[in-house]
Amino acid sequence: MKLDKEQVAHLAKLARLDLGEEKLEAVTKDFDSILPYVERIQAIDTSGVEPFAMPSKARGWRQDRAMEVDDYTRELILSNFPERSGDLLAAPGVFETPKK
Amino acid sequence: MMLLNELTIAEARRLLDSGEITARALTQACLDQIRSLDGALHAFLEVYEEDALQEADRSDARRQAGQMAGVLDGIPLAIKDNMLSQGKACTSGSKILQGHVSAYDSTVVAKLKAAGAVILGRTNMDEFAMGSSTERSAYGPTRHPRDPERVPGGSSGGSAVAVAANMCLGALGSDTGGSIRQPAAFCGVVGLKPTYGRVSRYGLMAMASSLDQIGPMTKTAEDAAMILHVIQGQDANDQTTGEVELFNPKWTESLKGVRIGLPKQAWGMDGVQEAVRDATLDAVNQLKNKGAEIVEIDLPYADEALAVYYVLMPCEVSANLSRFDGMRYGLRQQAPSLFETYAASRAQGLGDEVMRRILLGTFALSSGYIDAYYVQAKKVQTLIRRGYEEAFKSVDLIVTPTAPTTAFKLGEKTNDPLAMYLEDIFTVSINVAGLPAVSVPCDNNGGMPVGLQIIGPWFDEKSVLNAARHYELAAQKI
Repeated sequence: MKLDKEQVAHLAKLARLDLGEEKLEAVTKDFDSILPYVERIQAIDTSGVEPFAMPSKARGWRQDRAMEVDDYTRELILSNFPERSGDLLAAPGVFETPKK
Repeated sequence: MMLLNELTIAEARRLLDSGEITARALTQACLDQIRSLDGALHAFLEVYEEDALQEADRSDARRQAGQMAGVLDGIPLAIKDNMLSQGKACTSGSKILQGHVSAYDSTVVAKLKAAGAVILGRTNMDEFAMGSSTERSAYGPTRHPRDPERVPGGSSGGSAVAVAANMCLGALGSDTGGSIRQPAAFCGVVGLKPTYGRVSRYGLMAMASSLDQIGPMTKTAEDAAMILHVIQGQDANDQTTGEVELFNPKWTESLKGVRIGLPKQAWGMDGVQEAVRDATLDAVNQLKNKGAEIVEIDLPYADEALAVYYVLMPCEVSANLSRFDGMRYGLRQQAPSLFETYAASRAQGLGDEVMRRILLGTFALSSGYIDAYYVQAKKVQTLIRRGYEEAFKSVDLIVTPTAPTTAFKLGEKTNDPLAMYLEDIFTVSINVAGLPAVSVPCDNNGGMPVGLQIIGPWFDEKSVLNAARHYELAAQKI
């Protein structure tokens, strides 16, 4: 499998990475050696083999519930916001005008 | 008189307990060593000098009051920059997290603190633990203590150098495909990757969640056992921690009755440096002299493990690193639209290797390709695990070299990603199978260090470390 620059550009869009022309070309070239290497797994007969899921000795499920934190922890979390409006996280608008 | 910072953890424990030394003197000796060497080596991204000395004083007070917190009380340790420590900066070696402050303690850091350990600082690493040389840190490379033109290995290169250069008595690293063992081999220290599920990953910045594991980097196998004993255990905050018997070290008189397998696929592989082959074969002979029986074994799919790893790991990377989008924390590069803000923040904050792996994972998970890449890799993972299950029916341990080469020069492999990936050829299958493995330093006639990798069955760290200790004794390292 060989990917061309347009296909890599599409992946970059899916991954939300503004690569720029130079890095796009470099990554496309890197894929030329990496993909043939990893594709050797496709030659292995895996008929009747289940994909590996989880180690059997894992703990399993836990309850999903909100937890209280102390004021210090809370302030540390808030202080990591890139932009703050009081105790709220400020973010750019989610609903955008569709591009033409 | 030996310098205090050159002590092993076990030696320091004895001297602290007998009152011959104080935690303050021990900590000060490490801080002095960091001050004299770290300008050249860059093992640390931050040193907590004042905090460390205060903690050392508290430890001394506890000891005098007869209220020791645990075996690591007063022992100065270093932590890789991807484990959270509340109120301290944590960047995972990335620009996207510059200035990020940990909101809570990772389980391992909480356990070390509770055990009274003195945390000296956070160590350099390849960005988000992606790399085998520590050249991929956004904050500049770490250099090899024996030759500053060479790399220390990676991604836990800062922790490996901190231990090798006696800047601390021990350190924590994380290992997704060899990131504890390969830098340990390059720098001549002991590095243990525990069984997946032995140590909680809560508060470890995730690279590939199904493969990541935290472990100790130390001067001896005994020291590694002391740290593992403290950091191990089930954790309600990490559902993948195993419901198994706790690790307790068990040191035997000899290796009589221990069968050690040499996989012919690994030992017959091309591209292994002669010095590495000679030093590790010599180490195998030493294990034989200690009573072990050495047998050749067949380990199918060993060759394919690296390819499996370079599909599974990037897939998990692409998912895990999607959280770095410039919204809730980390760098935000404001742009006209939301999409452009995401894309610009990520491209500005993430390095080339990280972006390469995100793209590779995005490809392997994308519609039309997921079955041929991701699902197929998960099936081969099942076959790899079965291969080890079979092997461990006839042998107790498996040994290979840790890495195919000794420490290489800075810049030698940065432009050839595949050559860098091949550094992990002997280590990745252990993560793919979830097994425990240690790298123990071998004698290389004064040349650059070489590591022997000793692999054990799931949750059998005690046999792995016991064999490592026997080799240390045979090689008269301790």
